Amino acid sequence: MSKITIGKAINAGMRRAMERDPKVVIMGEDIGKLGGVFRVTENLQKDFGEDRIIDTPLAESGIVGTAIGMALRGYRPIVEIQFDGFVYPAFNQIVCQVAKMRPRSLGKIKLPMVIRIPVGGGIGAVEHHSESNEAYFAHTAGLRVVACSNPEDAYWMIQQAVESDDPVIFYEPKRRYHEKGELDLAGAAAPRPLFEATIARPGEHVTLATYGPMVKVCLDAATVAAEEGKSIEVIDLRSLSPLDLDTVATSVEKTGRLVVAHEASTFLGMGAEIAASVSERCFYHLESPVIRVGGYNLPYPPSRLEEEFLPNLDRVLDGVDRALAY
Amino acid sequence: MAVRHFNLPDPGEGLVEAEIVTWKVKVGDAVKVNDIIIEIETAKSLVELPVPFAGTVTALLAAEGETVAVGTPIISVDDGLGGDVAPVAVPPTATSDDDEEIEAGKIGGAAPGGRVAVLVGYGPRVTEAKRRPRRGGAAAAAPVVQSRLSEPVAAEPVVVQPASVPPTGSGRALAKPPVRKLAKDLGVDLSQVAGSGEGGIVTRTDVQGHAAGVGAAAADGGALLAEYAAPVFAATAEREMRIPIKGVRKVTAQAMVSSAFTAPHVTEFVTVDVTRTMRLVDRLRTDREFRDVKVSPLLVVAKALVLASRRNPGINATWDEAAQEIVVKNYVNLGIAAATPRGLMVPNIKDADQMSLRQLAEAMADLVSTAREGKTQPAAMSGGSITITNVGVFGVDSGTPILNSGEAAILCFGAVRRMPWVVKGKIKARWVTQLGLSFDHRLVDGDLGSRFLADVAAILHDPSQALVWG
Amino acid sequence: MSDNEVAMPKEAVDAAAVAALIAPVPETVGGAELVQLLTPEGERVEHPEYSAYIADLTDEDLRGFYRDQVLIRRVDAEATALQRQGELGLWASLLGQEAAQVGSGRALRPQDYAFPTYREHGVAWCRGVNPLNLLGMFRGVNHGGWDPNENNFHLYTVVIGAQTLHATGYAMGIQHDHAVGTGDPDRDAAVIAYFGDGATAQGDVNESFVYAAAMNAPVVFFCQNNQWAISQPVERQSRIPIYQRARGFGFPGVRVDGNDVLAVYAVTKAALDAARSGQGPMLIEAYTYRMGAHTTSDDPTKYRVSAEVEVWKLRDPIARLKAYLTSSAKADKAFFEAVEGEADELAVTVREGCLSMPDPEPLSMFDHIYVEDHPLVEAERAGFAAYSASFEGDH
Repeated sequence: MSKITIGKAINAGMRRAMERDPKVVIMGEDIGKLGGVFRVTENLQKDFGEDRIIDTPLAESGIVGTAIGMALRGYRPIVEIQFDGFVYPAFNQIVCQVAKMRPRSLGKIKLPMVIRIPVGGGIGAVEHHSESNEAYFAHTAGLRVVACSNPEDAYWMIQQAVESDDPVIFYEPKRRYHEKGELDLAGAAAPRPLFEATIARPGEHVTLATYGPMVKVCLDAATVAAEEGKSIEVIDLRSLSPLDLDTVATSVEKTGRLVVAHEASTFLGMGAEIAASVSERCFYHLESPVIRVGGYNLPYPPSRLEEEFLPNLDRVLDGVDRALAY
Repeated sequence: MAVRHFNLPDPGEGLVEAEIVTWKVKVGDAVKVNDIIIEIETAKSLVELPVPFAGTVTALLAAEGETVAVGTPIISVDDGLGGDVAPVAVPPTATSDDDEEIEAGKIGGAAPGGRVAVLVGYGPRVTEAKRRPRRGGAAAAAPVVQSRLSEPVAAEPVVVQPASVPPTGSGRALAKPPVRKLAKDLGVDLSQVAGSGEGGIVTRTDVQGHAAGVGAAAADGGALLAEYAAPVFAATAEREMRIPIKGVRKVTAQAMVSSAFTAPHVTEFVTVDVTRTMRLVDRLRTDREFRDVKVSPLLVVAKALVLASRRNPGINATWDEAAQEIVVKNYVNLGIAAATPRGLMVPNIKDADQMSLRQLAEAMADLVSTAREGKTQPAAMSGGSITITNVGVFGVDSGTPILNSGEAAILCFGAVRRMPWVVKGKIKARWVTQLGLSFDHRLVDGDLGSRFLADVAAILHDPSQALVWG
Repeated sequence: MSDNEVAMPKEAVDAAAVAALIAPVPETVGGAELVQLLTPEGERVEHPEYSAYIADLTDEDLRGFYRDQVLIRRVDAEATALQRQGELGLWASLLGQEAAQVGSGRALRPQDYAFPTYREHGVAWCRGVNPLNLLGMFRGVNHGGWDPNENNFHLYTVVIGAQTLHATGYAMGIQHDHAVGTGDPDRDAAVIAYFGDGATAQGDVNESFVYAAAMNAPVVFFCQNNQWAISQPVERQSRIPIYQRARGFGFPGVRVDGNDVLAVYAVTKAALDAARSGQGPMLIEAYTYRMGAHTTSDDPTKYRVSAEVEVWKLRDPIARLKAYLTSSAKADKAFFEAVEGEADELAVTVREGCLSMPDPEPLSMFDHIYVEDHPLVEAERAGFAAYSASFEGDH
């Protein structure tokens, strides 16, 4: 067992994937010599060569579009988008081409590519580097969308995403890249299936569902809540499309209350879908309406204000208290 | 030999007709697909039309100079193949807002099939505002819309159930939010309410029924209790309050003393799984026979008591000290202890043993409403042969009741709760209650009392036992 | 010099060079650099660089070019008529562009891969795609019904220019497979990316030039400049002749007479050979004309003069080839009639095939969304099946 950062865990996972399958290549800006602006691809070009770790021109639509061409030719590209806010030039290629090519071809084409996106705020950055745009892609049929929250998940999920024959948008919690966690690199434990949620912390009174960078915030909130006598069950959703509603529903049937937390704006965020689905599935179990805790409905503010914008432990616990008040 | 017809296509915006200008073919001519066969004129331009099939012209169906409506067949062509194709009427054209006349087939102009042409496809079409007919004739799964302010209907509306309705054994009461709120407002513990919805879902009716009293006393327990003049100490009151002993209080006291210190009281208890009784109650509540009368577990207890009394007549009797006789009665006048505005009363239902379940229910309802109004007559309170006292409405399990004067037995009916119970070797959640029977040991020995209590319990445990003993 | 003045750059800008770049439309159609081997009148002319690339063509090959163009024009005409009769939602006609598509299509080797737009019915024909498969998309039955890997012909891409990036990426894949510059004519492969003059304005197309140049990818960019992007003339897309833009990205550009099947064949072959041998990308601008409308409901009379169309009729690709085949006795009357007959039969086949094309089963819309099972898709499929079954009538 060793302690490893999320960034290094993803690096290790990609390394394993590339060792296993010579068709796996990584394409992105500054990923070669520099090792990526978050060092997630560090040393990979040194070991696998420029053929397989491809520094691309500075054009995101081009990265995704040429990756599609590579995939058509039989390769399994991992695309690195440097920051969440930079994915928008590639939005057309992702939504119109990556997502639709398989149904368009009646199943004759598959695009087994992974698009890795560092997501979320809390890094004190300038504009466009702290976005949470997972709802756009989760809403796009034809894509699969996952979000890891810890090193162990990061290590296994990136490998599973590469192995999937479907295109996967892989969100990485950028403010957690350098946070360490346990990972048994030599461990033989079978990893959790990619598209399943997990109970990160069991509880009795309230279900708190979240993903990505907010998982740690919610776990901390649960620890504080326990001191107040409130037992919170924290669910790490891990997969946003498809959504593992079974795990959420089972939990809500036990607790009767659900709070969903994410950095993305509350309005029309992932919480809206989960709230609607759970309201339908667990109607007779609900003691309170589903409470959502998310960012405000405004563009991500300047870094001096981001702590006011981001849902933090206090806002999460306020949401829990609102649910318990019913 | 199949004769096919070509209809006049829509020539343009808002126009429903065109003039035949020149026929380019005549009867007997051979035509190939896409041959231009006719020139028509719209308000603005001449349009040449190509024929969509090949063959021999058999008839020109419109004359030059004639104005023809869109959709009218204008030419018949025998295509030399089998099967006539009937002319198909062209549906009404979708029109746009533009006043400009646009050539058919160009953007904004008319397109085949009654659509408006667009750059990239067939174009929008006119749709009818109509529902497609469904199989089986009836509207599928349409819930009866019920005003929440109206009296609850005996039958719950049909509800489309969600895919996963958990088993009732999950331990949580299932209820939708408005029902939960109602329960909270009425002070009802949802987990104690038997749910009549699918999968054990607690409905509004269930909560209201429960609030009216599971095994209620003759009076509406909750509401009536509030009226009972319990002493209330104001903030600045004296340390003691002196209440004159008179009226019902005096009479009650005398009766209690007389009973308690004359008849040697013995009380026996039995704990019963009454799940089947509760199910019966649920069923009866939706039964047309009991549509407009209150059905509660107390009704079943009353019936059980009556049946048990017939089986054990010795308990339905009186110790007549003066005559030195035990009077065994051949009738059951069933008394129900009631807390009324005036105090404790025990009106009885005459000849309860002669009544059907429905009649018993009506008699109990009548007794309840009369008592609630404080109008119980003395005649109603005399001549009772056996009594039930209901402590369950207070949530109390059981007690050692004092015999009603002149009677040999009194049954104490407690709260009905969800309790773990062993059923076929497994622990399950069942509806369980305690029955307490006090009897006069001068004339009722333990065996009689026990047998009687056991019989009551047996019927409550399995109401079909009434069929055997009835 | 005072502080307020700015030093002039050391090299003065050559005004004449600039003027030459933004030259007015030259009198010679397509400009002096236009590559042509067959005049509109059907006469053979030579080109110092490209004549060599048709030296190996046989008479049968030439007759084949004629047959290809006639048949695909006939299919195109039939599809246009079918649209007018409501059998297709729309049709994008290639009328006038047959030589550009057949000439380039026939230069491809089997292992080469083609990325079309949505008008390359002539290239599809050369690649062996059944014309009926093209109609499915325009009829609304599917989004493209053929297997791209069967004919190395990608599905039609409706998003303008998006396919040029896919083509470049595919070419990068060929490089990764070491199928470039080996010298083995059956192994070395190249990609051809088709797009129009309008597409050259799209970011994706320009990015594909960037990537192709940076990676030295074996991709031939084939622009059919048919002068019109719906209603916009090519001048709205590019201030400079399109083929000259390649220079700005660092690779060669050639303008060819798009209505001259011999020249198109020659230039495309040269470009593909170069790409296969590892010399990287090239841009070919096939100078041609969109004789019909953008799609069937477009009305060109709203934005262009019919006189222009009449002028281009005199440059018809099929007529000039027929004239040449006749005058050089490489084909006779019997041959031409046989081709006409074949065209008529093909038209009937296409018509009948179109009319009898079945509508897709409603439930099939849930197929092929993902490779692996997806719980939401399966749940919705089941829900839709139950919903459909709840209605009276046939389903």
